[in-house]
Amino acid sequence: MAMADRVLVVGGGPAGLEAARGIADLGTPVLLVEAKDTLGGTPWESYATLTPHLAPTRELMAEVKGAVESHPLIDVRTATRVVASEGGAGNFQVTLEHGGARVVEAAGAVVVATGFQHFDPGRETQMYGYYEYDDVITLVDAERMMQAGQFVRPSNGAPPRSVAFIQCVGSRDRRIGNQYCSKVCCGIASKQSIEVKHLVPDAKVFIFYIDMRMYGFWEDQLYWKAQEEHKVNYIRGIVTEVIKKGDQLLIKGEDTTMGRPVEVPMDLVVLSVGMEPSAGTLEMARIFQIPREPHGFLATVGEPLDTVTTPVPGVFVAGAAAGPKDLEDTVSMGGAAAMRAVSLLRRLAAQPA
Amino acid sequence: MAEKAQAVEGETVMVDGVALAPQWSRMFEPRAITEYDLSVLDDITAIGGAESLGWCYQCGKCTAVCPVDTVGDYSPRKVFRRTQLGASLLDSPDLWLCTTCSNCLRVCPKEVNMIQIMPAVREKAVAEGQAPQELLSAFENTARYGNPLGEPARKRADWVKQAGVPVPIMSQHPDPVEVLWFVECYPAYHPRGQEASVALARILSTLGVDFGILGREEKCSGDSQRMAGEAGLFEMLAEHNVKVLSQYDFREILVTDPHAYNALLHEYPKFGGEWPTRHYTQFLAPRIGEMAFTRELPWRVTFHDPCYLGRHNGEYEAPRQLLQAIPGLQLVEMGRCRENAYCCGGGGGGMWMDSFTAQFTSMRLSEKRVLEAIEYGAEVLAVTCPYEVSRFEDAVKSTGNTGRLQVMDIAELLAKSLALVD
Repeated sequence: MAMADRVLVVGGGPAGLEAARGIADLGTPVLLVEAKDTLGGTPWESYATLTPHLAPTRELMAEVKGAVESHPLIDVRTATRVVASEGGAGNFQVTLEHGGARVVEAAGAVVVATGFQHFDPGRETQMYGYYEYDDVITLVDAERMMQAGQFVRPSNGAPPRSVAFIQCVGSRDRRIGNQYCSKVCCGIASKQSIEVKHLVPDAKVFIFYIDMRMYGFWEDQLYWKAQEEHKVNYIRGIVTEVIKKGDQLLIKGEDTTMGRPVEVPMDLVVLSVGMEPSAGTLEMARIFQIPREPHGFLATVGEPLDTVTTPVPGVFVAGAAAGPKDLEDTVSMGGAAAMRAVSLLRRLAAQPA
Repeated sequence: MAEKAQAVEGETVMVDGVALAPQWSRMFEPRAITEYDLSVLDDITAIGGAESLGWCYQCGKCTAVCPVDTVGDYSPRKVFRRTQLGASLLDSPDLWLCTTCSNCLRVCPKEVNMIQIMPAVREKAVAEGQAPQELLSAFENTARYGNPLGEPARKRADWVKQAGVPVPIMSQHPDPVEVLWFVECYPAYHPRGQEASVALARILSTLGVDFGILGREEKCSGDSQRMAGEAGLFEMLAEHNVKVLSQYDFREILVTDPHAYNALLHEYPKFGGEWPTRHYTQFLAPRIGEMAFTRELPWRVTFHDPCYLGRHNGEYEAPRQLLQAIPGLQLVEMGRCRENAYCCGGGGGGMWMDSFTAQFTSMRLSEKRVLEAIEYGAEVLAVTCPYEVSRFEDAVKSTGNTGRLQVMDIAELLAKSLALVD
């Protein structure tokens, strides 16, 4: 059986870009497949700025994106999907579909970097009214507004006088079936709250939370900064429901450090939606027969010391396809997956035929 | 659809003429929070020095060590939340309950600094005439007489007559001295403070210390008035004392009062007055070897660390070294000692607000502390801050422990063992 000296990277987001660049820099050819028309993944598409320094996403990602696009060892296929796979480590025969046409390509190893999708607040068991009220939006909707350099109430286009972020929407919830923390939403809400204060300095901004989960440096880079420099108000106690009242939204919950119910009108409510495996990730699990771990993301073996090796020989995972990740962890996994994939190919090549 | 009932925010609710606290009032009126009026928090944190009130992230560490919260419903965490909810700190009793003991700051991960917040916000309240009347009286006494007790300035050195040893007064003493003793108000005027002053004068004399006092030229150091919100009065006092001290020739300053110690160490240099300064326990501890103890004091003694000697200025050892040098004396530590010592309730103006504070607390801090001393089996509660003798002696009486616990200044214990006093 012919050994394919090439790695297939599925997904062109931060994890896939870093994996592709790493593999190619090690001298191994890469076939990078991205379903969308452009590389960059969820951040490129949806986020105005990135944690923790609020740098513009497109400026920040342009370098790595350009490096991948211009790399002589990387064959970039956008608007292309992986639809089938046969074979295994050393010789995957992968069917790609592009514009209705199918081709079969060979690869010795696969890195799956198909990421996550944002939780759909319509599935929320609380009553937040995302699909009922114009002024209930998600973190993603907020980022899109910020990409356009504004932050307004969708209902009337006016800047909000009061904004409430509601944390843990779709995360940490047994009834929804997501018993995990999505890791980044506390940081992103804090980041956005700073940006809201930049765009609408007079807005009163509140973050309603169960616990603020600010990993590592985000504690002072985002949380303390938002509270101390930008006067963002953190209120412990999650909002249970949102009710329309006049032209405002009445948020109802408990202010737990005061031990009192809350019924406060807000102009705008931002739902801090968490992460779930993307449709692409679930599709790759099916095509490559990668088991899913109990939370539904792609399983890895050798935790916690090996974050990228799946139970399927020759298939590695990077980024949020394996579970909620911040960008730092996502990119680090891309590098680790590159190293594992290339070393597998070299090991196979060194074996006697 | 019917209009929803309007939520009413009931803090304290009057039912049949009876005021019901929020935890009960919910049975009679809904008490949902219907607004976060952030303008109040904005106003408070806009006051220079009070910025850090807005930094609280509600961990609650302060509540566990706040001496006031053990007898009432006050802690920095709660102050932040109430302010964030739109209750003005300027109008709240909370503003006057803090004794500036600094135990919250010691444990606060966010460095919410009540030691800066309280004087800054109180200053604004005082300027608006919103301070408790007893506190204003203490300020007025201090401004008029140079001491919060309202005693005449000319009597400031009257205690010297009981000393039985020479206590030179600088204005009548042409020669330089080694040690300028800044006596302060309570040691000069309060009967129990005077007894400690007599004891200390005799100890200094026995050790051959070349010392002098300012007598009527001395005015209150003003540190507690500063913490209670009277920065202007403090400035006046500091300028006066620095001017008087600058006239005389001495090597170092010895203070009886940790509050004066704090002012001389950290505040007076801003007014051009900077001298080597030691609390009397720090001055005496290195000279234990020169002390000829002749009487055993076979007592179980516990020591109350003064907030302004311990937490504010880091001195925990000198008082203990002196106590342990006394023959027969057994030093027992209370649970809350050293860095975590409880507070007598006198700091930050608390000394002059006992009636006000009593309305919002179940007992005085001094009473709580006396009960702790008894719980740990002490026969003597040793103190080394002049606020404390009177506060704790009152607390011994009010808790019905007369005869069970004596309160004595370390100078008095030393003088007893040195057979300098009865």
